[in-house]
Amino acid sequence: MTEPAVSTLEPLVYDPFDYRLHDDPYPTYRRLRDEAPVFHNTRFGFYALSRYEDCSAAVRDFKTFSSAQGTQLEELKAQVQLLINTDPPVHTKMRHLIAGMFTPARVAPLEQAVRAMAKELLAPHLAAGRIDVIGDFAAKLPMAIICRLLGFPREDEDRLRQLTDTVVHRDEGVFAMPDEGMQATLALYAYFNADLAERARGARRDDIVAVLMDAQTEGRLSPEELIGYIYLLSIAGNETTTKLIGNICYQLHRHPDQAALLRADPSLIEGAVEETMRFDGPTQMMARTTTRDVTLHGVTIPAHSKVALLFTSANRDERKFADAEQFDVRRNARDHLGFGGGLHACLGAALARLEARVAMEEILAALGEFAVDETSLERMHSPNVRGLTREVLTFTPHRK
Amino acid sequence: MPQVTYRPASGEPITVDAFTDMTLMEVALCNDIPGIVGLCGGICSCATCHVYIDDAWAARLPAPSGEERDMLDGLDNTRPNSRLGCQVTVTDALDGLVVQVAEAE
Repeated sequence: MTEPAVSTLEPLVYDPFDYRLHDDPYPTYRRLRDEAPVFHNTRFGFYALSRYEDCSAAVRDFKTFSSAQGTQLEELKAQVQLLINTDPPVHTKMRHLIAGMFTPARVAPLEQAVRAMAKELLAPHLAAGRIDVIGDFAAKLPMAIICRLLGFPREDEDRLRQLTDTVVHRDEGVFAMPDEGMQATLALYAYFNADLAERARGARRDDIVAVLMDAQTEGRLSPEELIGYIYLLSIAGNETTTKLIGNICYQLHRHPDQAALLRADPSLIEGAVEETMRFDGPTQMMARTTTRDVTLHGVTIPAHSKVALLFTSANRDERKFADAEQFDVRRNARDHLGFGGGLHACLGAALARLEARVAMEEILAALGEFAVDETSLERMHSPNVRGLTREVLTFTPHRK
Repeated sequence: MPQVTYRPASGEPITVDAFTDMTLMEVALCNDIPGIVGLCGGICSCATCHVYIDDAWAARLPAPSGEERDMLDGLDNTRPNSRLGCQVTVTDALDGLVVQVAEAE
């Protein structure tokens, strides 16, 4: 289809609160990289960096691009100190408390649990020949694993997921967390507080929360920081991995040649996960705040400005990656920014890679060839995270 | 505050003050040491913080874990004194440590 020339004449606007952007942000990103590598959104008063070189430098240079005012464009509401919203040395101390528990070798023993859960979730749908891969599968799998890691009972998973989903949702065009999000945050805090109180009465359990409670006992975390840490882990472990699994399925549907490669050689699934993180990773953008005036590409970003780092735009920057807008499961680029980079790079990346790989191994093994019912698609709306909330896969039904 | 000297693949050595309990990778990022990227943020997943420990110091560091060893074995430029900067914690006992930054792979 030939695009009418008028589209290139539209004024270039990057507005992550505009739902229309969420459907397909990539043409906008390309224009940003080419026409305005330092874009100034005058309506909301922030800047945006979209090229790989600039984003990768910014995530490393935390002294200039600070996380201490939060990693969202919205102003940080008065709240407890969260790992994600700190700079060194505070950040270092908090991250070290549990960083050693998230290395590839430390998460590897979870593989059997992930696989068993994946099989269990897929089984009831095989005879029907259709499954909502988000609602019936990808939304449940990561929350089940994070609940296991944090020691929450299975029967609470649905409620916790509902609350964490509400926390990240943004109403169209509104530059703030809705009241429902604040209420969900408070409900989560209450849940975690009750859990901690119950733990305090029983024997020490051997898990992440126990390690964090130890840190609090030793005075390395305040009670508020302990709750904040659990809050962050419960949200981070849920949302993005769900969307990643959905995005992998969608990209394989759109690129049948790549799906055929995976079916012929399932060892390429790992590469498909990595390539989806680069090409269509759930975390589109994270924000920083400048600590001084910064001049890039002839534009001066004043001190104390919010700066959006467009990771998925950086990942499609042809200045960095050859054929950057091609989806290629054999590319195996590990230096993408799908998990961010630098000291704030995703703590759960190894777990996300494991969950997504095992999920796709089980989906491909159980479903065989599948297609996405494109009329079924529903999308979440967040300035930071992009992905589907409903995505029906159709496949040949299994005989009973 | 212990001091650590980084010798970049090219250019002059850089000596910096290090917060104890930070890793060699984190100290490097705090001080803009060229060649140490720390892409994965320290979860032993990217090997973009590869350094060679100066001979005088190599034996004074705790040995690498099996996981770190596996990552190092997968690199082209590995030497007996190779370490991942993200897996080496700076302590007061390491005051004066000298490391060389490995070439990017």
